[in-house]
Amino acid sequence: MKIKPHPIKSRVPLVALTLTFLAIAAVTVPFVGPAGIKASSHREAPITALDPTADITDVWAFRSYDAYGHDTKTPSITMIMAVNPFEEPANGPNWFPFDPRILYEIHVDNDQDGRDDIVFQIRFSSQYQLPTVPIALAGFTSSTGGTAPGVPPQITDFANPGLNLRQTYTVTMIKHGVATAIRNSDGSPFYAVPANAGPRTMKYADLYAAGTYGETNDDISVFSGTVDDPFFIDLGATFDTVNLRLLEGGPPGGTGVPGVLSTSEDAANANLASDTVSGYAVDAIAIQVPIQMLTSTGRVEPPTSPHATIGIWASTSRPEESIRRPGYSEASHGLWSSASLPTVRNAAYTESPQEKDFEHFSQVQRLGNPLINELVIGIGTKDYWSMSKPVNDSQFASFDLDPTFVSIVDSLYSVLAPGALFSPPAPRTDLLPLVEYLPPIAAPGTATGPIADLLRLNTGVAPTDPSKASRLGLLAGDGAGFPNGRRLADDVVDITLRVAVGGVLAGNQCGSTHTTTCNVFPNNVLGDGVNVNDVDTDLATDGVTNLVEPNTHFHTSFPYVDYCPSGRNRRHIDPGEAGCTAGTGAPCPVQ
Amino acid sequence: MKTLAIALFLAVAASGVFGAGEAGSPSPAELRIEGAQKVLQKQPNRYQTYSDLALAFVRRARETGDSSYYEQAGAAIASSLRIAPENFEAQQAQVDLLLAEHNYRQALDEARALNHRMPDAVLVWGYMAEAEAALGDYQQAEDAAQWMMNLRPGNLPAYLTGAELRQDWGDIDGAEEYFSKALQQTPPFETEETAWILTRMGRLLRQSGRPDTAEALLQKALKTFPDYSLSLEEMAALRLDQRLYPQAVELLEKRNGSFPSVSSRLLAARAYAGAGRPADAAKMYAEFEREARAQMGLSDDASLDLINYYVDYAHRPQEALRIVRLRIENRHDVWTLDACAWALYADRRYAEADQQMEKALAIGTRDAVLFYHAGAIEAAVGKKAEASHYLQQSIELNPASEVSETARRAAAQFPARGTWE
Repeated sequence: MKIKPHPIKSRVPLVALTLTFLAIAAVTVPFVGPAGIKASSHREAPITALDPTADITDVWAFRSYDAYGHDTKTPSITMIMAVNPFEEPANGPNWFPFDPRILYEIHVDNDQDGRDDIVFQIRFSSQYQLPTVPIALAGFTSSTGGTAPGVPPQITDFANPGLNLRQTYTVTMIKHGVATAIRNSDGSPFYAVPANAGPRTMKYADLYAAGTYGETNDDISVFSGTVDDPFFIDLGATFDTVNLRLLEGGPPGGTGVPGVLSTSEDAANANLASDTVSGYAVDAIAIQVPIQMLTSTGRVEPPTSPHATIGIWASTSRPEESIRRPGYSEASHGLWSSASLPTVRNAAYTESPQEKDFEHFSQVQRLGNPLINELVIGIGTKDYWSMSKPVNDSQFASFDLDPTFVSIVDSLYSVLAPGALFSPPAPRTDLLPLVEYLPPIAAPGTATGPIADLLRLNTGVAPTDPSKASRLGLLAGDGAGFPNGRRLADDVVDITLRVAVGGVLAGNQCGSTHTTTCNVFPNNVLGDGVNVNDVDTDLATDGVTNLVEPNTHFHTSFPYVDYCPSGRNRRHIDPGEAGCTAGTGAPCPVQ
Repeated sequence: MKTLAIALFLAVAASGVFGAGEAGSPSPAELRIEGAQKVLQKQPNRYQTYSDLALAFVRRARETGDSSYYEQAGAAIASSLRIAPENFEAQQAQVDLLLAEHNYRQALDEARALNHRMPDAVLVWGYMAEAEAALGDYQQAEDAAQWMMNLRPGNLPAYLTGAELRQDWGDIDGAEEYFSKALQQTPPFETEETAWILTRMGRLLRQSGRPDTAEALLQKALKTFPDYSLSLEEMAALRLDQRLYPQAVELLEKRNGSFPSVSSRLLAARAYAGAGRPADAAKMYAEFEREARAQMGLSDDASLDLINYYVDYAHRPQEALRIVRLRIENRHDVWTLDACAWALYADRRYAEADQQMEKALAIGTRDAVLFYHAGAIEAAVGKKAEASHYLQQSIELNPASEVSETARRAAAQFPARGTWE
C-alpha cells in the first residue's frame, strides 16, 4: 500500500469542524423540497431569519401624492424601508426598537450604473428615561385628567417619561461623497415613534403626528417608527406549497381553481382570504425627498426623459468583525515602508473617519424589488446575494432569467388544473425590466445599465389619484404603480404571480407549445385573494380614527403608512373568521 | 488583551470545563466512524453517511498521524458519489481530503466550483481561504475568510481560519484572540480538537517568546487528548528551545513510536544532536532525508523541511535550490519565499536572496527564524542597519529560538540601530 505523507501539522481543522459545525452548515444545504411565493421579504434569507432587526421586509418608492392625487408642493419621491417582520404589538415589555448597532441605508442610483449616487444613512440611539421602571412604555391618565402615583401620565409626546425606552435618530445624506446632516428645523432631535402599546398607555396617533418631520434643512421629510405592516398576503396558503384557497366557495362566484380569480374577485376592494400579516407591525423608515435632489440633472424630468428613471434599494449593515483587525498594520512591526507592503485590504489605511467607519460595516441585507431574493435566488445563495452589491448582480443572472419557483408553480398546476396554466419558458427576458433600465418603466433611450436588483422608478410619471389607483399598478394601466416604483397599496403578490408565473409581459410565449399569448385567462387573473392591506379602519376599540383612504387603505400624506395596531386590541384575521376584511365583509375561507 | 485572553482560558481550563480523554475510550473520530458504519449496515445507500464517514476518517488521520485513513476516506467519498454523483456533502468532503493531503491547487479549484454552486456554504469559503493562504494568495484568502465571518458572524471555523491568517500577517495578539474564541466555542467532548487548538496556541506562544504559557497550554492539550502526536511534537520543540535535549529526545521517541512524520524525524535528529548523541542524530538525519525525499512529490511540507535541511545541515545549497524551484512554481506563501531566499543566500546569490526576502517580509509574518534569515541576508548585501534591526527582532521575539544564539553572535557584529550612521 502506498504510504502517503502526514501533512497534518499545520492544517486548520475545518475537516473536524465539519462535524461539529453541522448545525450551522445545515442551513447551507440546498432546499429542494416545496417552494413557493414567500411573504415579500419577511425572513427570506437564512441569516436575516436569525437577525430580525436587520431583516428588511419591504421597500417602497413612489412619487408622493395627496388625497386628490396631486403632487406635494415640491414634487417629491417617498421612499420607505421596513424591517423586523411580524412584530406583535402586544409584545412588551420591550417592544421593537430599532437596533442602534445597525446602519440603515436607502440608496439611489440616478445615472443607471447600478451604483448609488445618493445614500441616506439612518442611525438610532436609545435612552432610558425611567431606568428603574421595568417596561419600555407605561402611562395612565384618567378620563378626568387624574394620574396615579408612581405611574407616568399617558404618553402624548416624546418628552413624556412614560416613553421609557426612547429612541432618537440621525439622517445623513451622502451625495457624490459629500455628507450632509438632515436636521430638524427647530434643532430638536428626530424621535422614533414607538409601538402602540394600547389606549391607556399612549395616544399613538399624536406620537405618529409628532414624529412626522416635514421641516428640515433640506426640504426633506423623515419618519421612523413602529407602524402597521403595509404588506398583505395569504401567507399560510402560500407557504403550504402554494396551497391557495377556493375563494367565495368556488363556482358560481369563483372560478373553482385556487389561485385563479374571477372577475368579481379580481375587482374586489376587499379581502377574500385572510391577510396573514394583519394585526402585525414593522419598524419603518420613511423619507420624502424633492425630485430635483434625486435626479442626475437636478430637475424634474418628463417621463420620456432618459434621465427620469432612478433605481432605489435599501440595506442594513452591522459593524464588521474584521479578520484583519481594524487599524492593524504590519508596517508597525518592521522596517519596511508602506510602499513595500503587499496589496492587502486595510493595510495601513488612512481613510477619513467616515470612510473608515463605513469600511468596517458589513452588509447584512439589501432589498430592491419585492421578489428577487424571495422567489428567484436559490436558498444556497440567499445570504451571499443579501451581502452583495446590486452592481454585481450579473452573477445571479441565471437565477433571474430562469426562476425555479415558476416551474414549481407551473408543475403544481399541471396536476391540479391540467391544461389551465402554461408559463413562458426560460430564458425569461420578459423579466429584464425588473433588473435593468428598460421600458415600460424607463423611457426609450435610457441607459440599460448592468443587471441589478433595484426598485426602478420613473420619477416623471405623475401620481395617480389614490381613489382611482389600481392595486395591479402598471398591469392595469396605472402607470404610477409597481413595477414603476412601488406604492404601499400595490398588490405585488398578484402582480408577481401574473408577471412571473403567468408571463403576461412575455408576449406569445405561453400555451402548451409556447406560441400562445400569455396575457389571457388564467395567466392574467392569478392571485391569492388578499387584495388590500387589512388594517383596522377606525381602531374603534381604542377610540382612534385611522385616516385611511378607502381605496388604498393607507394614509394620503407622508409617511403614508398606517398606525401601528393597538397592542391591547390588535386583531389578526385568520381563516374561517366571519369578516375577512378588518372583521367585516365576507367570511375568510378555510379551504 | 492577550494576557486577559490567556488568563481567562487558563481559568476555564483549570475548572475542568474541557473534557479529558480517558485511556482506552474511543476517540471522537472513532465514535463517528463506528456510528456511521452502523447506519450504513442498515441503510447502505445513504450517501450522506458515507460523507460523514469520510470526514471521520480524515479526522482519525489527524488523531493518530496515520495517513492510511485518507485512503479509507477516499473510498467513502467514492461510495457516496457513486450513489448520488452530485451530492454537495461528498464533494465538500473531497475538498477536505485534498486539503488534508496538502493538494492545495486541486482543492482550490474544486472549492471554487462548490462556492459557485452554493456561495452560502461557510466551510467552502474556509477551504478556499486555507488553500489560497497555502499557495500564497493572501489577499484572496483574506477575502474568503471575511466572507466566512460575515455570513455567520462569530462562527468557529472562521475564528480558526482567521487565527491562521493573523499569524501569517504577524498579528500574534490577534491570532491568540481568535484561537481563544475558537476554544471557547469548542464542545468539551471534542477532545482532539480542543487539544489541536491548544497545541496551535502553544506553538504560537512558544514562537513569540512566552514559553511558560506555552508549556501550560501544551500540558493541558496532552491531558485533554493523551499522547497526541502533534502535542508531543510541539512540546519537544519547546524543550529544544529550552535546551532540555534529553527531555526532547524522550518526547520525540514517544511521538515517533507510531507513524513518525518527516518533521518529527527532523526534530528528533536535532534533539539527538543537542543531547550529545551524534550517531543517533546522524542516523535520524539520514532517515529524515530518505523519507522526505520519498515524500517530496507528495507533500509540500516535506520539501520545505528538506530545503532547510540541505541549507542548514547538509550544506548542499544547489540541491536546496533545485527543490525550491519545484516548490515555488505553485506556491508563494511566506515559508516558500523564505526558504527560497535562504537557499539563494546559502548559494551566495545575495541580491536575489534579498529580493525574495523582501517579498516574504512584505506579508508581515513575525517569526524568529524568518527575521534571522532576513538579518543575515541584509548583512550580506551590506544593509547593516536593516540587518541589525532584523537580528534584534529575531532575538526579541523569541529569545530562546533555535537561531537565537546565532542571531546574538551576528547582532554583536553590528551596532544597535540608531547609532550606526
